[in-house]
Amino acid sequence: MPYSVNISVEAPIENQIHEITYDGTEIYQPPLSLSESLSKYAQKIDFSKTSEVEVKKEFSETTEDNKLEADSKETFQSNLWPWDTVRNKLRSALQEVCVLADVLAIAKDKRYMVLDPVQQEPLETKSMAQIYARKKALSGAANVLLTGAERLKTSQTEAARNRTVPDFHIELLRLRQNWRLKKVSNTIIGDLSYRTAGSKYIQTGTFEVSKTEEDEKPATPPSSPSPLSTGPVVPKTNTALKVSIPSELKGVAYIEVLCRKDQDDLCSANINLLGNGHTTTHPDMHWQQKLEAAQNVLFCKELFNQLAKEAVQLQAPIPHMVVGNQIMATVLPGIQLIIGLRHSTNVEKKPANSGKTEHDHVLEHSLHQLLREVHHKNTHHPFPHPATGPLGPSKKRMCAGPMAADRYELLEMTKTETLLEQIIKQAQHFFMRMRTEYVLDTIAKEVKDPLISSHWNTLNSPTQSCVKINISTHGYDALCRTPLVIHVGEKTLKCICRDGKVMYMSYEPQELRDLVFCHINQHQILAVQALAKTMGWQSLANSNHLGTGAVEPLGNASSCLLASPTGDRIIAVRCEPQSGVQVSVAHSPRTDFFPSRLVTERKWEHLGGQFRDVRLEKMEGRNFLHKMELLMASLTSNS
Amino acid sequence: MGVTILQQFPTENRTGPDTIELLSKRIKALGAMQHGNFLVDCETYTSVPQLGHQRTVHVLHNSEQPATVFSILDTGTKTIPLATDGLFDLLMMKMSSFYTSKKQTKAESKGPRFEIGDFCVKLGTITVSSNFKGILVEVEYKPCVVPAMCWDLMKEFLQGFLGFSVPSTPPTYLQNRMQELYTPIDTIHQYLEQFMIYRKSPGIGVRT
Amino acid sequence: MPRIFFIKVGQNYIIIMSAAPGSAMDSLSAALKCNIIPNQEYLLQGSVLDQYVEVLLHRLRGLCDNVDSGPESFHDHELSFALRAQGSGAAPMVLPLRVRRALDSPESPWQLRYVGQQELGDKNRPTVVRSSIDMACSSTIVEFLTELGCRMDFEYIARGYMFRKGRMKITVSKIFKMGNMNTKPGEGVEPISQSYLVELSVLAPTGQDAIAEDMRIFAEQLRPLVQLEKIDYKRLGNMS
Repeated sequence: MPYSVNISVEAPIENQIHEITYDGTEIYQPPLSLSESLSKYAQKIDFSKTSEVEVKKEFSETTEDNKLEADSKETFQSNLWPWDTVRNKLRSALQEVCVLADVLAIAKDKRYMVLDPVQQEPLETKSMAQIYARKKALSGAANVLLTGAERLKTSQTEAARNRTVPDFHIELLRLRQNWRLKKVSNTIIGDLSYRTAGSKYIQTGTFEVSKTEEDEKPATPPSSPSPLSTGPVVPKTNTALKVSIPSELKGVAYIEVLCRKDQDDLCSANINLLGNGHTTTHPDMHWQQKLEAAQNVLFCKELFNQLAKEAVQLQAPIPHMVVGNQIMATVLPGIQLIIGLRHSTNVEKKPANSGKTEHDHVLEHSLHQLLREVHHKNTHHPFPHPATGPLGPSKKRMCAGPMAADRYELLEMTKTETLLEQIIKQAQHFFMRMRTEYVLDTIAKEVKDPLISSHWNTLNSPTQSCVKINISTHGYDALCRTPLVIHVGEKTLKCICRDGKVMYMSYEPQELRDLVFCHINQHQILAVQALAKTMGWQSLANSNHLGTGAVEPLGNASSCLLASPTGDRIIAVRCEPQSGVQVSVAHSPRTDFFPSRLVTERKWEHLGGQFRDVRLEKMEGRNFLHKMELLMASLTSNS
Repeated sequence: MGVTILQQFPTENRTGPDTIELLSKRIKALGAMQHGNFLVDCETYTSVPQLGHQRTVHVLHNSEQPATVFSILDTGTKTIPLATDGLFDLLMMKMSSFYTSKKQTKAESKGPRFEIGDFCVKLGTITVSSNFKGILVEVEYKPCVVPAMCWDLMKEFLQGFLGFSVPSTPPTYLQNRMQELYTPIDTIHQYLEQFMIYRKSPGIGVRT
Repeated sequence: MPRIFFIKVGQNYIIIMSAAPGSAMDSLSAALKCNIIPNQEYLLQGSVLDQYVEVLLHRLRGLCDNVDSGPESFHDHELSFALRAQGSGAAPMVLPLRVRRALDSPESPWQLRYVGQQELGDKNRPTVVRSSIDMACSSTIVEFLTELGCRMDFEYIARGYMFRKGRMKITVSKIFKMGNMNTKPGEGVEPISQSYLVELSVLAPTGQDAIAEDMRIFAEQLRPLVQLEKIDYKRLGNMS
């Protein structure tokens, strides 16, 4: 061709890599020598392809080929003579040509051999059958094409939709990350029960996972603004995955805790692990929410079941009542704890908690926590030490034999507090705390002098808390302060007084009130004495429990007697829980002296004079101690 | 668990139940309340001759410590106490070819159990292989664990309802251990000591 | 006061209370009759080379209950005693007894254990079954057994980890020769081999053979990391 361009093709300069070592170095094959490469190319010549017209060979081709192959292999392997294959092929070609020439020579002579054309028999063809066969073949081909087109179409639509709808398998993977699934024959079964977390509740929580049907989908999304979607708008997620939950776990459940005093609701708590607002059982809810709701139902059921069982078994002085879905237990006289299971499958119905706004989240949390604790204990058993010991018994129980534990210790070990007992205790404590708070606050309001301040400890347990009360007088708090510590328990109060005395009180708030008032009196007397000391006055006597005077309805009056620095004036203070403080003053000797028949000399006047009451309310001063200070000051300066 | 003293009480021609009745009345008059019953038993196993020199194992149970089996091994030269779980009895069955028990030696003390303040009083009827042998009174003073510190108090209490049959010296077992901490095994030792005496005694209510 | 008898069954206790205090032996025989005393040990054993033990522990952490806080370790000292006497016949009587204590938990009680010969029973049974009586005991046990006529055959230290799966207990332990007792604990001990002993065991009352099947399935899940098998001690005895 005149316009051809010369193209030179050459092998890449790089040699072939023979081996790559682990450190990455490449070991090259040594380059072929000229003769080697020539023989290599020669071996690549395929003679069979060069001949366009294949001559039928009399001798079997296969043997020839086999031989050829064997030869070539030999040469390849032995590499003794690289031209061996070429020679062989040429020789066989020569042989064939010779034979052909001989045959042609004989045929040409027409004496020994005649070449006749062979009559080919025409095939019998049935036209109808052929048409059918063709039709069938065509329809088969058409089907293949159609299904292929269909598949392409669906995959295209799927791809278009894929931006909004995740793939079933991806969703399944997500589901699998949070929930237990297993495959049973052709269905996927999941388990939402708390059994793996240690629950021993009999009810199963199996659910089934399936793929959302194609035709189901378009129906739901557009018609979503249904009247029932009043709750938080659930984002319209089109999921490829559908979970079916057993009917008894459908809906919303929560546990309602009410504390009732003489039929009045004092407080109520609603247990709903999902929160109260989220109460719709939307048919289009995302599977995650659906499963969580169902799990919540199961949890609430287990909790209530457990509580009801305990309520029946427990021997309380006032028996607990279980009626339908409600447990009633008496916490303190006149106060009842009502625990109810509310389970609504109705979509419309919202729990009737709108009226009761007072939620005690602490009680709510406690019940929740108590059952979780039971679950945890069910699965976490101590390991034996030494290791060959039996699994199960606690360490304490293991020691009981060799340490010869007595029957009480052993019985103590078997005792466990039921959930109901624990929640009742917590409710009792709640009331005790509330009552104590109330008493202290009202006293602080009623009594302005001295000041009563209470500090609640921030750290407390569900059944124990502690309050510290300080009684002090404004302006004199450095002088005297009466501290009290009250431990609020479940049904009792324990008060640790200033002098270290420990008092136990019942749940009646009046007892605490009385105790605080007694301490207010004591405080006043002590404070006056402390004040007197700083003023240079002398404390002559004091008594916390004065035997004289009118009988007090509550406690005893306390009193003290103070003498001025020169000793000529005496103040008597009497403090009564009911009537308050009385102060009297006596002068000795009296400033004026008139000898009489009975008292002839002045010295007898030193024995002490008559006491005259001081009308404290008319005195100047901010509070009792201030008045006393002024009084003492005036009596001291007078002399 | 406090200090416990065991004290024999002479029956003096009374029958066992009568004596228990008498003591029950006395202790109730002091203000004691009955809190169930109690049982202490003792089985003795002796080694077979193939095992060399003779040893004895006393296996005791005390209803006060229901999860424990006490064993005391007596080799003739020393005694070794052992406290184990309840399954030790099962092991003794396995040892039956090495240690055998004579049925006639099974000793028991059982009867009512009283509580009075810090004291716990048990009135035990002693039987050795179901033959009545005598009355054994156990008194426990729960707040104290050192015998020397409460012996005088306990002696006084014992004399208060048992009369002057109470000796002024502590039981022989405790005499060397007056300053040590008292443990349940000490009670078992005292019982064993008493059971050994009763086993040897031929008749009823013999005082030693 | 009722008499109380405590028996541990799996994770719970059974408390037998009788109104009158009967003898302890009565209660025990009653308990024996009720078949609630766990006196059968179902056992599978195997071993794993030191370098692969981490892999096995990892697998066990995945399979067993509550390993969120890591596997429980142990460090025990075991002494093996035997009470021997020439019987009336030609065969000598032997009662093997093992004493074990936890070195890492000194407040735990000592443990005395009788482990019987493995039951011949069914060849197809998936695990070794042998009678076992174990009890916690006071520390006087060594002196008690010695004076009782027992001879100590050998002692060793086992250190490793334990796991649980339901009622099954899995221990992975390294066995050490007893060093000189005068040296500090943890020192002067020498491992017996370059591998860890792996044991899967359940202690159950007589007749609960279903557990053996559970054990077989569990052992199956540990393959090929460790091959848990029925080990025939008599054969091993003959080999040596």
